Amino acid sequence: MRRLLHMPPQIFRILLLVVGVVTAYLIARYFLTPASFGEYGWYRGEALAELAARAPIYAGKKQCEECHSDIYQKLIKHEHKTLSCEGCHGPGQAHTDNPRKDNIDKSGFSACLRCHEASPSRPKFQKQITIKSHYTGSKCTECHVPHSPLEVP
Amino acid sequence: MSNQLSRRSVLGKVGAALAAVMSVPAAKAAKAVVQKVFVTAGAPKGYDPFQHKWRMAIDANRCIGCGLCAEACKTENLVPAGPYFRTWIERYVISRPKPGSGEARGEVFVDCPNGGMHGFPELPVPKEDVLHSFFVPKLCNLCEHSPCVQVCPVGATFDAPDGAVLIDPHYCIGCGFCIQACPYGCRFFNHATRTAEKCSLCYHRITRGLKPACAEVCPTQARIFGDLKNPVPDDPLQQFYQNNRVQSLKPHLGTDPRVLYAGIDKEVM
Repeated sequence: MRRLLHMPPQIFRILLLVVGVVTAYLIARYFLTPASFGEYGWYRGEALAELAARAPIYAGKKQCEECHSDIYQKLIKHEHKTLSCEGCHGPGQAHTDNPRKDNIDKSGFSACLRCHEASPSRPKFQKQITIKSHYTGSKCTECHVPHSPLEVP
Repeated sequence: MSNQLSRRSVLGKVGAALAAVMSVPAAKAAKAVVQKVFVTAGAPKGYDPFQHKWRMAIDANRCIGCGLCAEACKTENLVPAGPYFRTWIERYVISRPKPGSGEARGEVFVDCPNGGMHGFPELPVPKEDVLHSFFVPKLCNLCEHSPCVQVCPVGATFDAPDGAVLIDPHYCIGCGFCIQACPYGCRFFNHATRTAEKCSLCYHRITRGLKPACAEVCPTQARIFGDLKNPVPDDPLQQFYQNNRVQSLKPHLGTDPRVLYAGIDKEVM
């Protein structure tokens, strides 16, 4: 120990400075690095759980089925089986959390032409109409049942 | 140096040892206090990212350009109004070549009004002049070698073990490097949160066993979503890989996108 202290003073001071800086860095790193940093990689592992924590806004078809199984069963037997309920009726998490008649779009009507209006860009399998020549009445639902399209109302 | 123990040295050593033992819990408590100020508390865990490998695939042959996906994404992810999208639909119109020009294909028109959320206007060329036209849904390509992850200076964007490329909003400093780095234009700057944002594969939904909002509302199953580690019977994703010849966007950039497309044309590249 005494021999160490007998090194040239300029070297001793530099060593002391290096040790001080490294110690300060290690202390700062200990206190400021989030606990989960490096858990999965070079990022904060907790971020995954935080991002997953937010509540969904679209509830998903399965939740709709729980209460509306009659309509669901009808839907999956017909052409519109691949459609999601919320595609036409809008996001439904608020409705599934607290089922009321006023927090879900019951009409779902605006959606028909969105998919069925004729466009050369649409693939041929898609049934398309030109509204002017197809029907000039007021509602698609006069002739078509959205949940079972080929049925006559 | 003498080997004899003096009362003074023994007392000093015992005192130092005691201080060291006392300081460990004290330091831990101090660390907890510091982290409460600088680092937010994590949400509870209950989902193992190592047990999943999420993938999305796009069958552009089936896209009808209804815009439900872009709209649902905007609602689900609270994306600010205006030209900001985590997912969107592009319409490609390839016109017929001029007669006698000797070309195989004419001019290409690409448009994406409001992300395709509210449909598309009339074609920019007369219907007779269209060689062919199609829609392509776009989203984060979930690159294997993501340029966005490589350029992030603070480790805020990362490739999660379950296949999602995510942004840690508490770490993001909003420098915008990643927005410039993404060759697919999948990132934007959210002026409300002052962070970069992008498709997270609806991370809050997939961790709950739901599909991403876009795949949920897609009426024609143009967007196929699945888990490579836990395939379900008749897995749509496996069937997609089996039945299609697939390609990725901008393969020459070496980003190795994990989102694979079927039914796109050379103009989309």
